[in-house]
Order: sequence, then structure tokens, then C-alpha cells
Amino acid sequence: MTDKVLIKGNYAIAQAAINAGCQCYFGYPITPQTEIGEYLSAKMPELGRGYVSAESEIGAINMVVGAAATGAKVMTSSSSCAVALMQEALSYACSDEVPVVLVNVMRAGPGLGYVYPAQGDYNQSVYGGGNGDYKIIVLAPATVQECIDFTYRAFYLARKYRNPVILLADGLLGQMMEPACFGENPYPEVDVSSWALTGAKGRDGKAIYSCARDEKAHIQKIQDLFKKFELISKNETSFEEFETKDADIVLTAFGSMTRNIKAAVRVLRERGLKVGGFRPITLSPFPHKRIYELASEGKDFAVVEMNMGQMFKDVKYSTEGKSSVSLINRPCGEWLSVEEIVASVEKILESKKEGIYASSI
Amino acid sequence: MEKNFIFAGFGGQGVLLAGTILANAFMLQGKNVTWYPCYGAEMRGGTVNCEIVVSDTEVSSVHKQDTDFALVLNQQSFDKFVQRVKSGGTIIANATLVALTKPRDDIKYVFAKMGDIANSLGSSKVTNMVSLGVLSEACSIVSKEYLAKAVELVLGEKKKQFLPLNLKALEAGCGALV
Repeated sequence: MTDKVLIKGNYAIAQAAINAGCQCYFGYPITPQTEIGEYLSAKMPELGRGYVSAESEIGAINMVVGAAATGAKVMTSSSSCAVALMQEALSYACSDEVPVVLVNVMRAGPGLGYVYPAQGDYNQSVYGGGNGDYKIIVLAPATVQECIDFTYRAFYLARKYRNPVILLADGLLGQMMEPACFGENPYPEVDVSSWALTGAKGRDGKAIYSCARDEKAHIQKIQDLFKKFELISKNETSFEEFETKDADIVLTAFGSMTRNIKAAVRVLRERGLKVGGFRPITLSPFPHKRIYELASEGKDFAVVEMNMGQMFKDVKYSTEGKSSVSLINRPCGEWLSVEEIVASVEKILESKKEGIYASSI
Repeated sequence: MEKNFIFAGFGGQGVLLAGTILANAFMLQGKNVTWYPCYGAEMRGGTVNCEIVVSDTEVSSVHKQDTDFALVLNQQSFDKFVQRVKSGGTIIANATLVALTKPRDDIKYVFAKMGDIANSLGSSKVTNMVSLGVLSEACSIVSKEYLAKAVELVLGEKKKQFLPLNLKALEAGCGALV
């Protein structure tokens, strides 16, 4: 399994889930991620594992939560407007501390939106649409290889921290093919026997509760959840940085836009401009600290994303006013081209003012 | 160096498969490559296309506004993509279905009767393989040998019986440009 194969992002995620030991998949089809369910519908029964085509997305995610409570490795996948339907169960999964893996292959919103790729679910994933104080781990792959690597990581992190993990891809990544290598799942098995509900034969019963017995216990529960996330932040925050050392301005993007900013940095460097790049790999926990450090060195930021400025706010918050943050964006559809990004950055450097450099089609 | 290709035609003409084979050929050559299809609410009988980007370094952007090479198998695709070829780029057209016109004078035109060649081999279904042969002759960055290896890889064990005809069509396409 060390050979490279030319494979679609969606199929790569599905096969990586199998390699990671995914025991059950529950899902409902929606463009642009239907290939994940299609692939697993054939492979999972062959392997004697579970595949259920659920009656709805709400059904699918609740089956996932139930199966996860037994300690099984489980996954569902969906897209934007259908992930919106799953928000209640995600809030429960955080509160229940069950290891759910959810793949969101983003399309355009709001509402039904369209099947074009977009990055409009940053807020939905990072801040969530469920009730109460909870946090989800969010991983954003930029290449098909990372679709594989991050799927392995998602299963591991979900079980290590008993916390839901969202793999946030987009239609471009789901539909494109690229050479990639599956390798072996590099992560160790996590022992879940202390909490998994596996039947009380020969031992005392266990239970997983979403609510605490009284106010004091409930406050404690939320504080414990947040303490856990602090630990996740400390251990798991990851990002990629390129050419930032002498940079005056740092282009920042997540997911598959990363490759476009890398190319834009190359072009701008060739023109003698001091431009670097920064890319959060974990959108939650977000690399606030590193952005603050770069801003403290006087480096400005330009956030490049396919939405109306969602990660932009987190970058702006992280800089704490130490430097200026501009936005280069388009809501959905054709990815901002390298040329468009380069032209916008040149405008920002010329005007020396922060602003919004939105591109129409 | 980065080059991109758009393959377009009617749904059913096999442009997505031809694009997949080209992308596999580049992978076998050790290049970085991406393949991206148009997707969405497509109709049977409508046009379909895919985009291949090949690069010595990391591929910059998967989906681009313009292209170095366009390979078009029907008239609608010719009319649409002739406008998206970069100045100095090349459009390669299936002259069986595309009229011999040259709407711009800053690009190169390659016309070959791909459909007729495929029919003479016994099946119009291999028009896409003929087109790959024509492409490899018209642009010097992909060799016939790697394309042949990629055809074998993509057909695999399951469809091995179709290999000889497909390789013959590829070969015929390579010879169509004399």
C-alpha cells in the first residue's frame, strides 16, 4: 500500500476510513460527497462491517452517536445544508463525549445553496449550530493525500479525546483526483473499555448521560469539557507556514485554497515582494498563538477564502490589533485564481490599508 | 513548469475517461497532477468536461480560467473552449463532428477525424483513445508509451479484453497527424 494511486478525494476518504478500522457507516446521499457512501456501500458488507443508508441525515447522525457510545469506530459523511440538520446530535455527542467522525464535503449555501464547491461552513464547523457550550475538533485537508492522512487522524483524535471530529473538505477536493498513497494507519489503538457501553454481562452497569444530576455537577461537567479542549489545544493545534520569516504580509487560507496561496506566494516572491503564507490545519483548535506572534512582529495578514469572511474574523481576533488584516474572497463557485490573489495582494501592498478585496465572477 | 488541459465532449464520448488516462500517464511519469471534472446538475446528452493540471512542483490551482490545451470532441465544446485557450495554446478537435473553422488567429489548431478513425477500427467508442493519440503527437509533454501504460492501468484486470482495441486506437491517433 505504498504505491501511489490516482484517486478521487471522496474515495480516498472512504478507503482511509476502512483502513482506520471504521466499523459502521451511516449516511444519506448528497452531492458532492455521495461517492463516499457509494464506495462504502459496496466495501463495508464485503468486510463484514456495518453500512446503513439512513432515512435522513438526522437519522444517520443519531445512529452514529448511538454506535459510538458502544465504543465502535463510526463515521458519517454529508454536505453543508445536510450537515446543518445534524447540529443537534453534534451538541449531544460533545456532551456525551462519544467519538464521532463526521466528514463535511462543503457545497455552497445558505439554505439549499448549490452543488458548487465553497468554504461557507467554517463557522458551522468551528462554532457549531447546536446548543450550549461545546467544541469540536476540525481538520481541513488541502490535498487528496491529506484527505487520507487526516481521516486516519480524525478517527484517532475522536477516540483519544472522546470528542467529535469534523473533517472539513470541499466539493473541489471531493471530486478531484490526485496521486496519493494510503500507507498504513500510523496511529495506535485507543482503549475505550473504561466507558464504552458494551453490555453489563459479568460487570456493573455503566451509563452515558448528556445531562448532569444537579446544577453543581452540570457546571463541573462543562468546565471539564473545556479543560479537555484546552488540552486538545495544547497537544493538537497544527498549522503550516511558508516563507514567513521576512514577510511583510502573510496570505492565510484553509483547505484546498492553500494550494492557490502557495502558488501566489511563489509568484509574488518572484516579483521581489516579501510575501509569506500561513495555513491552519486544525481550524479548531485554531492556531491563535502563532498568528499573534507573527502579528506582533508587524506582519500584516490577507485571508483568502471562498466565503464572506468567516476565518477572517478568527485571524483578526488572533492579531489583537497588532497588525492589519485584509480579506480576499468570493462566496462560492470558481476558486479564486492565483492571478486574482496576486492582483489583490499587490493592491493591498500599494494602498497599505486593510480592506476587503472581494472578487466577483 | 505547469500546463493544463481541458477535455470536453458529449456525455458518453468518454472524455472523463480519456482525462483520467492522461492524468494516470503523468502520474506514472512521476509528475504532480490533478484531475477535476465539471459536476453538478448535468443532463444526459449534455456536454461534459474535465481539467487536468500537470506540474513539476506542487499543482497551484486545480481549476483554471484558461488552458494551454483544449481537446474537444464535439462542436459545442469547440465553440465554448476555443475562447478559453491561452494565446499561443493549442486546440485539438475531432473533425468528424467539428467544422474546420479558425475563430482566432493567436492559437494553434489541430484537426483530426477521430470519430472516422475509431469507426474504421470497428467502434466509435474508442474515439477518446484516438484523441489521446492525437494529443500525444500534438503536444510533446506526454509520450505514447506512458499513455499506453496508463490505458492498461485504468482498464485493469476486469476490462482486459478491451485492451488491444484501445491500444490500437491510441496508436492510430498517434499516426493521424502526418
